[in-house]
Amino acid sequence: MRGLLISDFNIENLSSYLRKEPNAPAIDSVITSYGEVFQTLLDDTAACWSERPDFVVVWTRPEAVLEAFGKLLDCCPVNEKDLNAQVDTFSAALRQASKRTRALFVPTWVIPPFHQTHGLLDLSPTCGVARALMQINMRLLETLERVPAVYPLWTEKWIQLAGSIAFNERLWYLGKIRFSNDVFKAAARDLKAALRGVGGQAKKVIILDLDDVLWGGTVGETGLHGISLGGHDPAGEAFVDFQRNLKALSRRGILLAIVSKNEESVATEAIANHPEMVLKLDDFAGWRINWKDKAANIVDLMSELNLGLDSAVFIDDNPVERARAREALLQLFVPEWPSDKRFYSQSLLSLDCFDRPSLTDEDRQRTRMSAVDRERKESKLQLGNLEDWLSTLKTIIRVEELNQTNLPRAAQLLNKTNQMNLSTRRMSEADFHTWAREKNRRAWTFRVSDKFGDSGLTGILSIELNGSQARIVDFVLSCRVMGRKIEEAMLSVAIDCARSTGVKEVYANYCQTPKNKPCYAFLRQSGLTCQDGNTFVWDATQPYPLHGAVHLACEDARHIEKRPVGCESV
Amino acid sequence: MKPTKEELIDIIYECLGEVNEQLPKDQQIQKSPDASLVGRAGGLDSLGFVNFIALIEEKCAYKYGIDLSLMDTALREDGALENVGRFADSLFHQLKKTPL
Repeated sequence: MRGLLISDFNIENLSSYLRKEPNAPAIDSVITSYGEVFQTLLDDTAACWSERPDFVVVWTRPEAVLEAFGKLLDCCPVNEKDLNAQVDTFSAALRQASKRTRALFVPTWVIPPFHQTHGLLDLSPTCGVARALMQINMRLLETLERVPAVYPLWTEKWIQLAGSIAFNERLWYLGKIRFSNDVFKAAARDLKAALRGVGGQAKKVIILDLDDVLWGGTVGETGLHGISLGGHDPAGEAFVDFQRNLKALSRRGILLAIVSKNEESVATEAIANHPEMVLKLDDFAGWRINWKDKAANIVDLMSELNLGLDSAVFIDDNPVERARAREALLQLFVPEWPSDKRFYSQSLLSLDCFDRPSLTDEDRQRTRMSAVDRERKESKLQLGNLEDWLSTLKTIIRVEELNQTNLPRAAQLLNKTNQMNLSTRRMSEADFHTWAREKNRRAWTFRVSDKFGDSGLTGILSIELNGSQARIVDFVLSCRVMGRKIEEAMLSVAIDCARSTGVKEVYANYCQTPKNKPCYAFLRQSGLTCQDGNTFVWDATQPYPLHGAVHLACEDARHIEKRPVGCESV
Repeated sequence: MKPTKEELIDIIYECLGEVNEQLPKDQQIQKSPDASLVGRAGGLDSLGFVNFIALIEEKCAYKYGIDLSLMDTALREDGALENVGRFADSLFHQLKKTPL
C-alpha cells in the first residue's frame, strides 16, 4: 500500500514505523517536503499526486497552518472569525485533496503543555489558547463531517500514551521532529488499524470462553451462585465491567459468541439467571458449549455464522487453549490475555482490530439480527422442505438506487463482503459514488426483511451498459441473507434494467478469490449460461424469473418490469 | 552519580535498539563496540543519527540527571562517531567534564 505523508514538521519517523510495524497492511510512504502543506494539498499536478496514493496523512501544527492561532500563542489579540475562516480554508484544501485518494487521515491539532501555562486564562474566551485549540478542532471536525474518504484521527490519545515526553524538544531542535517516537509508534498502529477498517478487514466477532473470562470460577463445579460476578469484590466488579464493555462493542456491530468447555445447560442457566450477568443469551450470535476441542468448535461456529476465521478474535484465559487455537487456526486472532482479571477491560478496549470508518444502523442492529437469524435457522430445521420454508418467510426486498443516504452502508458492504461477491472490488465511498454516477452505469442497494425481522441493507448490485450488452459489475450479498432467493431477485433487477434499455445480452464475469466460491456456486445454478468457466450470460430477450416467495419493492421502478409477483413502487 | 563506562555502553545499546526499530534489518546497527555508527563504512543516516543522539541525551537526563547537548560536542572530536566503542569513549570523557 502506498501512502503520502504531508506535514509541516519532519514526519520521517512515522514513515519508518509504518514500514516496520508488523501488522498488515504493508506500507511504503512518500513524504512531501515539510512546510509545503497548502501547496501540496491544492496542487493536483504536484509530483506526489502523479501516482494516486492509497492513503494520505495530513498532520500539521495549528500554529503553522493557522496564522491566527500562531498569533494567539504569541499572546496577540485574535478575532474568532479570522480563526474560524482559516480553519475553513484549511478544511477546504483537505476536501479538495481527498478526491485524489481512497482515505485521507487528519490527526487533530495538539500543542505542547508549555503553551498552556496561563492558568485561569487558558480557557478565557478572548485569549485562551486551550479554549481556542478545542474550538479549532471542533470546527475542523464539523467542516469535515460526512466528507467521503476523510477520517480525522485523535492525536491526543497518542500524546497520552507517550506520556510526559510526547513533545520532544530535543528532536524538534535537532531535526524538526515534533513528537517523540512513542507518539509516532501509536500513530502508526492506529493508522494501520484505520486502513484495515477502511479496507473492510476489521474483526467482526469476539468468541469468548466462559469460566474465568465472563465470570470468575468454574460454574460446573460451584453452580451459578458460586461464581464470582459483581458484588463488592474487585474481581467480581472487573468481570461486570468486562461484560459491559463487551456489550458496548456489540452495540458497535461486533458479534459476540461463546466457545467453552462446559455443560451447556449449566452454562446457559448461569447466563440466563445470574442476577449480575450483563450479557444475556440474546447478546450472543451463537455458541458451542461442550467438551470438544475448542479449535474444532470455533471452525464449526464460524461456519454457522457464515464468517471467515479471519474475522474472529478468540479470548481465553487459558494459555494452553490460546496456543492450541493459534496453532490450529492460523487465520484466527488470539490476543495474549492478562491473568489479572482487573485488566480484562483494558485489554479488550486496547484491541485495535475493530476499527471501522462508519457506524451504520445495520451495525447497531447486528446482534439482534443474529438472534433473529438463529430463530430463522431453527424454523428452517422444523420445516425440512426449502420451498415450504421460503414461502413462510414472507420476504420483502426493497430496492433503492445508490444515493448519499445509503452510500456509507453500501461502501461498507462492498469493502467487507467476501463470499457472495462477483468481482470483490474494494472502493471508498467517494470512488464508488463517482463510479456509479457515470451515465452508462447503474447501482442499487437491497434491503431485506421477512417475518422474523429486518436484515437491513444487505445487497449491492451495479451494471454497466454498453450498447447491446450489459455487464454486471458488482453482485454483493451479505452472508446473513444468502440462499433465500435474494440472489435471484438481484439478477432479475439487473436483467430488467438492461432489457428496458434494449440490451440483448447480460453477462457477469466471475473474478475468483480465495473466499468467493459461494458466488460461483450460485452462478452455476442460476440459469445463466456458463461460457468459458468464469463468464455467465443471460439472453436478455427473456426476463429473468423472480421466485414466487419473494416480494420485490422498488423505490424507482422506471426500468424494472412489473410482474405478477415482482416489483411495485413504494 | 555519573554512569560508569559499562553503564554508558548499556545506554548506547538501548538507544541503538530503539533506533533499529525503525530500520530495515540490513541497515540495523549491531550492538557491538566495532559497529560503525556513521560514515563511509555504513551506519546511521542523518535522521537515524538525530534520533540516536536525542535518545542518548534523553536517557542520560532521565537516569542520571545530566543535561547534555551532544550535537555541540560529539561531532567535534575526531573519530568520535567512527564506531560504537569510540563514541562510548568520547561520551564517557564528555560526561566526566559535565557538572551534575
